Amino acid sequence: MKAVERIAQHYLLKQLPRATAFVGKDGMLVDASDSWLHIFNISPKAFFTTNIFDLFREVVENIDIQDFLKNSEASTIRHHEIGHTNKQWYESTFAPWFDEKENLVGTIIQTDDITALVEKELELERVNAILQAQSEVLKVGNWEYDIESEKLFWSEETKKIHHVPISYTPEVSEAIGFYKQGYYQNKISMLFHQVMTKGTPFSQKLIIVTATGEERWVQAAGKPILKDGKIIKVFGTFQDIHEKVMAETKTKENEQLLYTLINNIPLNIYVKNLDSKKILVNKAECEHMGKSSKELIGKSDFDLYDTEIAKISRDEDLEVIRTLKPILGKETISIKKNGETTNFLTSKIPLFNYDGNVNGLIGISMDITALKKKEDQLRNLINITSVQNKKLINFAHIVSHNLRSHSANFSMLLEFLINEKDETEKENIVKMLSQASDRLLETLDNLNEVVDINTNMDLEKKPLNLHESLTKVLQSLAALLDKNQVKIVNHVDKELCVSANSSYLNSIIINLITNAIKYRSPKRNPIITLNAQKHERQVVFSVSDNGLGIDMERYGGKIFGLYKTFHDNKDAKGLGLYIIRNQIEAMGGSITANSEVDKGTIFNVYFNEESQ
Amino acid sequence: MKKVNSLFIVDDDPITVFGIKKMLKPICDCDDIQIFENGKEAIDALKNRIELGDTIPEVIFLDINMPIMDGWDFLEEFILLDLQERVTINMITSSIDPLDYQKWNEFKVKCPHSLNYRNKPIFKIEISDLESIDLAS
Repeated sequence: MKAVERIAQHYLLKQLPRATAFVGKDGMLVDASDSWLHIFNISPKAFFTTNIFDLFREVVENIDIQDFLKNSEASTIRHHEIGHTNKQWYESTFAPWFDEKENLVGTIIQTDDITALVEKELELERVNAILQAQSEVLKVGNWEYDIESEKLFWSEETKKIHHVPISYTPEVSEAIGFYKQGYYQNKISMLFHQVMTKGTPFSQKLIIVTATGEERWVQAAGKPILKDGKIIKVFGTFQDIHEKVMAETKTKENEQLLYTLINNIPLNIYVKNLDSKKILVNKAECEHMGKSSKELIGKSDFDLYDTEIAKISRDEDLEVIRTLKPILGKETISIKKNGETTNFLTSKIPLFNYDGNVNGLIGISMDITALKKKEDQLRNLINITSVQNKKLINFAHIVSHNLRSHSANFSMLLEFLINEKDETEKENIVKMLSQASDRLLETLDNLNEVVDINTNMDLEKKPLNLHESLTKVLQSLAALLDKNQVKIVNHVDKELCVSANSSYLNSIIINLITNAIKYRSPKRNPIITLNAQKHERQVVFSVSDNGLGIDMERYGGKIFGLYKTFHDNKDAKGLGLYIIRNQIEAMGGSITANSEVDKGTIFNVYFNEESQ
Repeated sequence: MKKVNSLFIVDDDPITVFGIKKMLKPICDCDDIQIFENGKEAIDALKNRIELGDTIPEVIFLDINMPIMDGWDFLEEFILLDLQERVTINMITSSIDPLDYQKWNEFKVKCPHSLNYRNKPIFKIEISDLESIDLAS
């Protein structure tokens, strides 16, 4: 074997474009291209003293280059640049070097820069790792079907979702067989067929039955892969969305429940934002307003209700939003723009968003108009009943008192008569007995009259011209009026009618006028003023005089009581006002009096115009 | 026979007045019996007597139901009068209204005089009815 001559770089070798070096069996560098020397950072001067074994020992760990060179076959190693800090990757190929006689004389080393390749490999590895992690986290697997080979590939995650072992190799028919029988299996068959034949991509929510028999929701998707306009493969993803679908279903069910509840509850429910604008209304609220929910949303109370009512409502809203305290069960009145009034039992509850900040309020209103009306009717009825009751008790006492006083007199007088010896006195007692008897009869007549008034349930009422009635009474009283020089001032409208019973009306007028004459002041000529005013539901007829007057503070409560007289007047029986009060009340009206001592008295009679 | 200096009957019913007078005759010796038809007349007369320094009635028969001023209104004013003497007041009524009885009980407490309550009919007046019984003794 001829030793290789150690000469200066062979000129031809020097220019080789690929980094190449020649090494002797002893590992000493024989020749190299400039590019090779540059990669390994060897100066041309150090050329002959460079040992390859030492050189590669620096860059390659765990590999014995000497063993490598003994090999008669070519081999490669990867390594970094020597002495340089940057991370260039190189690949050196070691090939045996023979002389003309096929004797091994050394090794030819060729070194390539493979940095780009290595980087690509690393990137691919990284992407794969990410994909794997993503697939595991999202439970997204994938699959691929090769049309020509009819081979189906499932990723690890796809297999996991099917609950099959990693070693499992699926067939298309088996894969379709995993879908739930019926709709789901038919659907996937159709979609798979379409993507293969027409290239129609799909993404569909379906149910599979896993290898362990569990039903699960999956999202299966597929799209064609084309080559030269021909579908050669179908690639797809496969995702377990069971929990998501279940959660969605639960949410939808909850939503449905809430929606059904809110819409069918017999309460008006609405949600308002911070500007008191409605952002949700239920069916009852829509029906109450006579508008669709679309027409109501975005509206404030000022758009829907009477301004005064809207102001009150807005103040309540602000209060709830400011204090965060709910208003519960407050009685409110709502008046719509058209004047329709509704009584509500309203609650307003602050509404908080996810962060715990108030962003509106929930209003709940119960229509209690009917209840309220009933309550009023009931209260009215209770009032009537209690008034009637009082009248009855009062009347019972009057009856018992009056009858008792007469019977007591009889007893006493009879006792006297029995024991009396003196004839003149006896006669006197008998005279008194007959007087007592007369008075008892009179009392019974009076009481009978009162009972008549109070028991006359089907009292005939008809519209009567008040002025005409007055004129008739005044004519019948002409003599009395004349005698007492009474001046009548009649302001009653000639057209005015009152709903009354004709004989009661006459009795009322006669009593009030004779009363005024009876209690006239001796200091002045009597003036009686008659007035009548029509109001919405009643007519007020008033009789005022300039007479003695009554001390209202003292007798105000007794004026209309039976046998109550307040003046030193021999004609007074205390019956007239009691009778007419009963007559007026029997017609559904009322009577009041006002008076000032030595000035005069005014009686107001209220005729109820509503049929009862 | 009991000697009474002065006696008032306040009642608007002439039969009752007749009866009281008749029943008083055998037991009572009184030259000064005055009749009033209502409380107002009686209280006015009393005030007049106080003013003139005349005899104040020792006994008053008082009806409840009277016009103008009834028995209760009379009592109301009567207890306000500045009287040294203790007067015996017999309320005689045909009323069986429990309210009247209740009122009597109320007045009995605040009235410094002897206040009796009798329901009609009455057939006899006893001498004891003319004396004020000091319940405390």
